[in-house]
Amino acid sequence: MTVPSTAAQTASSLAWARRRGSVARFWRAYRTHRAGLFGLGALAVIALVALAAPLLVGSDVQSVTNAPGAALESPSGAFPLGTDQFGRSLLGLLIWGARISLTVGLMAAALSVAIGTLVGILAGHFGGWFSTVTMRITDWFLVMPTLVLAIVLATVMSRSVWTVILAIGVTSWPTTARLVRAQTLAVESRPYIERATALGGGHGHIMSRHVLPNVMPLVLAQTTLGISNAILTEATLAFLGLGDPDVVSWGGMLQDAREAGAVSSGHWWYLAPPGIAIAAVALAFTLCGRAVESVLNPKLGVSTR
Amino acid sequence: MDTTTVPRTARPSPRALTLLAVGATALALTAAAATPLNPAPRQARADGQRTLTVAVSQSVDSLSPFLAQRLVSTTVHRLIYENLTNYDAKDNHAIPGLATKWEPSPDKLTWTYTIRENSTWSDGKQATAEDAAWTFNTMMTDEGAATANGSFVANFKKVTAPSPTKLVIELKKPQATMAALDVPILPRHEWEKVGDYARFNNDKKFPIVGNGPFILTDYKVDQYVKFKPNQKFWRGAPKFDELVLKYYKDGDAAVAALQKGEVSFASNLTPAQAASLAKAKNIKVNDAPGRRFYALATNPGARSKDGKKFGDGHPALLNPKVRQALFAATDRKTIIDKVFQGHAVEGQGYIPPRFSAYHWKPDADQRIAYDPARAAALLDEAGYKKNKAGKRVGKDGRPLDFRILCHATDPNDKAIGKYMQEWWGELGIGLKVDCLDNVSDPWLAGEYDLAFDGWSVNPDPDFVLSIHTCAALPSTPKDTGATDNFICDKKFDELYAQQTAEYDQAKRADLVKQMQSRLYDTGYMNVMAYPNAVEAYRTDQIRAITTMPESGGNLWGQDGYWSWWSAVPAEVDDTSGGSGSSTGLVIGIVTTVVLAAGLVVFVATRRRSTAEDRE
Repeated sequence: MTVPSTAAQTASSLAWARRRGSVARFWRAYRTHRAGLFGLGALAVIALVALAAPLLVGSDVQSVTNAPGAALESPSGAFPLGTDQFGRSLLGLLIWGARISLTVGLMAAALSVAIGTLVGILAGHFGGWFSTVTMRITDWFLVMPTLVLAIVLATVMSRSVWTVILAIGVTSWPTTARLVRAQTLAVESRPYIERATALGGGHGHIMSRHVLPNVMPLVLAQTTLGISNAILTEATLAFLGLGDPDVVSWGGMLQDAREAGAVSSGHWWYLAPPGIAIAAVALAFTLCGRAVESVLNPKLGVSTR
Repeated sequence: MDTTTVPRTARPSPRALTLLAVGATALALTAAAATPLNPAPRQARADGQRTLTVAVSQSVDSLSPFLAQRLVSTTVHRLIYENLTNYDAKDNHAIPGLATKWEPSPDKLTWTYTIRENSTWSDGKQATAEDAAWTFNTMMTDEGAATANGSFVANFKKVTAPSPTKLVIELKKPQATMAALDVPILPRHEWEKVGDYARFNNDKKFPIVGNGPFILTDYKVDQYVKFKPNQKFWRGAPKFDELVLKYYKDGDAAVAALQKGEVSFASNLTPAQAASLAKAKNIKVNDAPGRRFYALATNPGARSKDGKKFGDGHPALLNPKVRQALFAATDRKTIIDKVFQGHAVEGQGYIPPRFSAYHWKPDADQRIAYDPARAAALLDEAGYKKNKAGKRVGKDGRPLDFRILCHATDPNDKAIGKYMQEWWGELGIGLKVDCLDNVSDPWLAGEYDLAFDGWSVNPDPDFVLSIHTCAALPSTPKDTGATDNFICDKKFDELYAQQTAEYDQAKRADLVKQMQSRLYDTGYMNVMAYPNAVEAYRTDQIRAITTMPESGGNLWGQDGYWSWWSAVPAEVDDTSGGSGSSTGLVIGIVTTVVLAAGLVVFVATRRRSTAEDRE
């Protein structure tokens, strides 16, 4: 009784040591990408600000009835980024909006990658007519203009953050599915898969214990890259007035600015900060994603630095 | 140009690029607004044509006067057809249109109109009493033709044209609106051939045969409506060589076009736009008392004439105390100050103060003032007490959670919705703001609790009152009635019938005021504000233009064709550089520098990164 238990312990501690080692190796490799570090740093700062938003600006920053300023004030000491048409502080709204933009971006990307991975592994593993059918469906989603599909979904469903997450998630998975399927095919052609099958490993075992861990690096990189896309799509949908009107998001702020006529009346401080914030976060995620990709994917070759 | 449709131009493949473009568009727009890419007004064209371009945003519902109900469409009809009578630009009194004279018989039941002899259709035929008789008869006999203006002819018994210059209308009961029949008279020889008036939109054959001051020459859905002046117009031809209603679905784009001189006129300005345009050179901002009311409508339980109920309005709204409480918890003064930023007047009765003869104000003890404490008391009385979670719940266990229909195209709806959520939230009432591009579907189906509502009021109030009578309800749940908000109130209907039959102006005004008082008490239509008409035009393109009323009136959506008919083109001068050019220049330079710096950095890093590979 004790022998297998200690054996298991050593096995698991070995596994943990191996994982620690690979994380350390990953970090050493990642550290060499200056752009990746830059992106990571930016993300850490933004995430910290978003998490601390209730402490920094307070949750009544969204309230229109208790708005402290006059309408569309230009930047000043009291309001570093000026005010919106209700007299709310734009800096406060920008910080508060980071929460929604990040949440939606992360969750939508996670959803999209989850769907993509599932479809990709299943199609790659089973092959045959099943693969053909799923891949044709994937192709169909791939050639559909994502934004149009997302707009249709966001229009027919009720306006909420979840709708936006769902709309982005179910429209942006095909790329991941194709990548994961290719990787699955590559992994499954290796001899150890054959051995596992010979030892009695079923479909579920092969897919979850052997294929999934091997496609994970790819999935991770894809997720990081997908987030920036998801954030941009969220901003687009909100800008088009398809977001939840009750929450503050960066895209929603751009939409509000447009509705207030800030563009033609030259109130740049209403437009520029959310626009720059969207661009900055998308850039940070892309930088991280590229770095992760080049660390994990040996095919991309040794980076220049 | 059409900035709202950015994503429609999206190609499927470079998605990230397109998405990035959205953020960039916003920035680019600022730059575009401030940069007069085209400093000299484009209005002066090489061939010396003087075009008056008007920026519009509302879609035309139909070009058939039998069907058209939207402001933009009725404005078009005023330009291309004549009504029997018109309203004076100074004080709204009835003046000759197609008819030169009109008088009732002593028994008030027969009206005789003398039709003018100097009005011709644009195809050369004479406009006669025969055309007018045919128009009215068609509306009386064909239900499709009565869609838009049926309320005017509902009381007509017989319409005849004994001679080309004489029109006789016999009534069932006296009707006070006989000098204010807002019905465009159509050319019989063109319209007789049309089969189904419920479907014919009059948008196939151009130019459209008409006899108004302008002739409609071309129309493309949501792109433009073009007019040429009618040189034979009896009151005198308009002075511009062309009139174009050009579509800008985005208000900011319209204002940018105005700043650049691409359009001569833009309306529906936001307070921020009005403030910045007021400082601009060669642009005059016209901030005039509007002819609209802006109301909070509550669903009284949608039903049709056959007594069937439909829709899913919240049952709590059938309780008058709840309706009163909602209005008492709505701070109209804040709405005026914060949302309209002073470009509106606080709401009182149903008819705006601009029509002083009919305007009514509730007296002190009738008025529902802003008073959250009273609202809470009213809700308690009505049996909606706050539960532990702070929500008001009825005896049936259903919480007071309302939906409000909001026009996604109107920023004011959304803004006021935000305030209401907070005011009512404190009372324990939930509010979901449903902003839709197309509010008509849920509205006609009665699937709403509350709605933001507004109508432009004519000098004669008959029409805006008629839409709240039982007669305006749809015949069956499947039909569309003229009703605005499914209101059917016996007392209101009685007063409506009385005012319709009252030829004495003072007595009729008194009845109209009683109707407004009744409407106010029922609480189905709570007028929050009378928004001003905030509009602007280029003084280097339009030298003079008639507002209505002439002193301090509006330009777009008048009760007549005065503004566009009277507009005098300015002599073209190309000295205007625009005051924005210096800021534009600065932004342009900064952008260029930033781009150049970015390029240099990019190239440098590329070179460094490929240094090992290069020989």
